[in-house]
Amino acid sequence: MSTGVPRVASAQGRAAAPSPGERGASYDGTGPWRLLRHYGVAAAEGLALDEALMLGYRRGAPFRPPTIRLYTYRSHAALVGRYQHLEAEIDLGACSRTGTGVNRRPTGGGAIVMGEGQLGVAVVAHAPAAETPKQLLGRFSEGIIAGLATIGVRACFRGKNDLETAGKKIAGLGLYLDGKGALLFHSSVLADLDLAFMLEVLRVPAAKLGDKGVAAVRERVTTVTAETGADWSGRDLCGAVAAGFATALGTELLPGDVEGEESEAARTLVSDKYESETWLHQRTPHPDANGSSLFKTPAGLVRVYVALSGATIKSALFAGDFNEIPEPLGRFEESLRWKRLDASELASLAERTTSGDTGLGVPPEALARAVLEAGERALAHAAAAPVRLEGSCYFPEKEPSP
Amino acid sequence: MTGDTYRIVRGYRLALDRAYDRETHMWVSVQDGDRVRIGLDPLGVETTGSIAQLAVLRSPSSLRRGEQFGSLEAEKFVGPLLAPLSGVVVACNDAAIADPGLLHRDRFGEGWLAEMDARDLAAERQELVEGAEEIVAWFESKVDEYRLRGVLAE
Repeated sequence: MSTGVPRVASAQGRAAAPSPGERGASYDGTGPWRLLRHYGVAAAEGLALDEALMLGYRRGAPFRPPTIRLYTYRSHAALVGRYQHLEAEIDLGACSRTGTGVNRRPTGGGAIVMGEGQLGVAVVAHAPAAETPKQLLGRFSEGIIAGLATIGVRACFRGKNDLETAGKKIAGLGLYLDGKGALLFHSSVLADLDLAFMLEVLRVPAAKLGDKGVAAVRERVTTVTAETGADWSGRDLCGAVAAGFATALGTELLPGDVEGEESEAARTLVSDKYESETWLHQRTPHPDANGSSLFKTPAGLVRVYVALSGATIKSALFAGDFNEIPEPLGRFEESLRWKRLDASELASLAERTTSGDTGLGVPPEALARAVLEAGERALAHAAAAPVRLEGSCYFPEKEPSP
Repeated sequence: MTGDTYRIVRGYRLALDRAYDRETHMWVSVQDGDRVRIGLDPLGVETTGSIAQLAVLRSPSSLRRGEQFGSLEAEKFVGPLLAPLSGVVVACNDAAIADPGLLHRDRFGEGWLAEMDARDLAAERQELVEGAEEIVAWFESKVDEYRLRGVLAE
């Protein structure tokens, strides 16, 4: 398999796990999930234990109910996505100055900051043969949604890799299937977030906006603290999220411990993988490339920043002299994620998401043209610093010792 | 290829001149002797979403059917590419690695993923779906199943 319909159970009939039941029913029907809680973990250790837990869920291992791990990182850790370039996404100088750890997640997506203000959620399980990645993301995010609901925060699945509250991101989601029958669902739930710090250590487009960067991110991202008006830490959210998983997935969570073999595997993964230069500074054929373009509107100049992976748009951000991003523009901006940099597709998307009215006094095609131009500049930058293809063929990765 | 090579099945253009793995949605096209070319079928591509990154084994690597020969980052996840046959991966498609969009634009042609020297082609191809009518019937049932489960848009 591959992929979308990842039959992790192989064609030889090595079934990975029973198919989960309907939503609301027990995930596996075989017993309570193991609940782990860890606070203040270092970057490499946090990621390594997640991967070590997967070893017990590979094909051939005795079937066991899933494990859910709720944890916080020691403030702070800057984590890039699986295929990003560390130096391009993170200001390593700023990390050094601020004592921020850096590492690479096994899951995809963009760079994030983790610390006491963010709750890490990891679900490790046998990959069910009958569910697609989209279904799995939806299923596990139900646990977080239900948990947030218990504290009065209404969140929903945004359809790609985020949970949103009133149109703003409140949690990021990721899924990693290891090819050996195990899955890892990751989420970062924003209990709180120091936006200025985030913009100091991450090279995200908003960091280029100077004083306006914090306001630009605040328009697009929210936190439990902001939504409830009370201070929340990642640790504070543990109880609610655990209860949410139990309710949404119809299962019981029993506090448990990391087993000896898992601890040993995690230590090996720390030294052999997550602290290795090879992993940290891995090169891929399509490093995320950034470009921007400027266009005139009756309301003033607007700049669009685009981050690409190859010809795929991973994120976009419009910035201008508007107090709030016009709603149609916000819809278009959000819809751009994971779209191809294709003129006709962009034009059609702009027309559809704005319904012909961009809110900026320019026609939808002007937005599409600006994105295309920014994307072409990003591609030109990437072409100026080509990456050897050999860097992409790093499989098989070094196997962790069981 | 003749005009009968492709057929539109439930809205998807499907090549009938090759075999398919039921579980992984990989297609297998025999090139010469035991040399096969493999790629992702339309359901594999659609349910994966936009593919941003591909990595495929480069140096000759011996695998069993169901083992990983590469990985990808797509809209929804990071996951493995699993071999539909046992054998040795002898080539990967640099063009697709450089431009994963090829899997969306030309999945049966330029968007192939790898070539393998199959170890037990005669026996293992029995596990695959082959022959026009069998392919069409299998594919129709999969599309219907995925639509029913909400995996595919109507």
